[in-house]
Amino acid sequence: MVPHQSVFKDESKLDINYVPRRLPHREKEHRLMMEFFNFLLKFPERMTQRVIITGEVGTGKTALAQRFGADITLEANKRGVKFRYVHVNCRECRGKLFLILQHAVSVFRPNFPKRGYSAEEALETLMQSLDEEDAHMVLALDEFDTLIEQEGSEAVYKLTRLQEMRPGKPQRISLVSIIRDLKSTEKLDASARSTLQRNVIRLYKYSSDQLTDILNERVAMAFERSTVPEDVVDLVAELAVSESGNARFAIELLWRAGKYADAEDLGSVAPECVRKAVSSIIPTIRRSELSSLGFHEKLFLLGAARVFKGNQRTYASLSEIEEGYAVVCEEFDEQPHSHTQLWKYVQLFSALGILKAEVAIAGTRGRSTRVSLPSVPAYELEKELSAALEKRWE
Amino acid sequence: MEIEEVFSSKPRMKILRLVARLGALNVSDIARRISLNYSTTNQHLKLLEAEGILQQRVYGRVRMYRFNDRSPKAIAVQNLIETWEQNK
Repeated sequence: MVPHQSVFKDESKLDINYVPRRLPHREKEHRLMMEFFNFLLKFPERMTQRVIITGEVGTGKTALAQRFGADITLEANKRGVKFRYVHVNCRECRGKLFLILQHAVSVFRPNFPKRGYSAEEALETLMQSLDEEDAHMVLALDEFDTLIEQEGSEAVYKLTRLQEMRPGKPQRISLVSIIRDLKSTEKLDASARSTLQRNVIRLYKYSSDQLTDILNERVAMAFERSTVPEDVVDLVAELAVSESGNARFAIELLWRAGKYADAEDLGSVAPECVRKAVSSIIPTIRRSELSSLGFHEKLFLLGAARVFKGNQRTYASLSEIEEGYAVVCEEFDEQPHSHTQLWKYVQLFSALGILKAEVAIAGTRGRSTRVSLPSVPAYELEKELSAALEKRWE
Repeated sequence: MEIEEVFSSKPRMKILRLVARLGALNVSDIARRISLNYSTTNQHLKLLEAEGILQQRVYGRVRMYRFNDRSPKAIAVQNLIETWEQNK
């Protein structure tokens, strides 16, 4: 058997933990972060910094913090400042301050015992270790809301008021808190909140174009040349926009689509691979939904599924789908419904999230409708519909 | 203490090899790793500290031992262990 040619060049570039050198459409926020810590690089012992990064899922909060962490460490080392960036996921530490601090301590003292002391002692150990090494650290607390929920104001207060307990000594720990919704901080008392919220960096949802840029960069890094067509990238971006502009979702979808392409030895990623990938992530269509459809609605959808299955394209015109429907009607010995009725079907399936219709202005005369099957694999839809229609004939 | 007395003990040599391999460790951890009781391990550690080979750092209730970076003896012992391990 001839070994197949994978579409991937380097899959690791699509890994959830991979942080690219450049974060498209987050350059401004990255510069701002570096600016916030600029003074600290010049006079590390005189001040520390506190920053909150906030934004929806997949808006690049973790990636921004980690990119910043790597860059600031590099910059500090160039200036001869001993600097460590420590990224801790509070959820993984079950929101316990003790476990978070223990993780931070283990960076400096890898064999430090895992139990037998309190969170306060862990904090003292961390400060002492930093003093001994004359080092400074940025402690990034990802999913910070978990810590607030678990331990409330007390833990935040301890972290933010560290320096007040050691007046005259060098400042050591800066904080970057990563939080999805700032509302979570409302649970904190006023003093804890005020010490925390000095600088807030808000990340807004990525637009379709921005996601396309992000995906194109990853495609260039992770895939072989010409294995991911432009319309496939557009389709993935569109799907991610409907998932609240989630870049992580988009990248995972791209990876899965590549996997489906490899599994079928296609040599390139087809729109159908994306549909299979998305249905493996979110079960978009349920059998019960299909069985509740009317007879001609099923025929119409079967026609559409066959069009997408046959042409391997992302989009089809409404007239192409109408033709597909007419063929299905002939097969079932049925008279096709009118164009107006079919347009209503398109609207119904758009509302159900099965089809997506966009009106495209074609030249100067009239308008045409572009239809896509964004998230259900055409072959699966055809199989389900054929089974449902066969039942009717039995 | 004479050199032969310091190095004539098997537990002390085990402690030195362990600290050379893993870096700073606390007393209980060392005792567990060399399968010796806490009190005896502690005595060996105190002796090695008194000889200036190891140094103790106290973090609250936790005592960690590591090589004394400023001691020529500690550097010599580390070099000996490293050379020994590399040419086994």
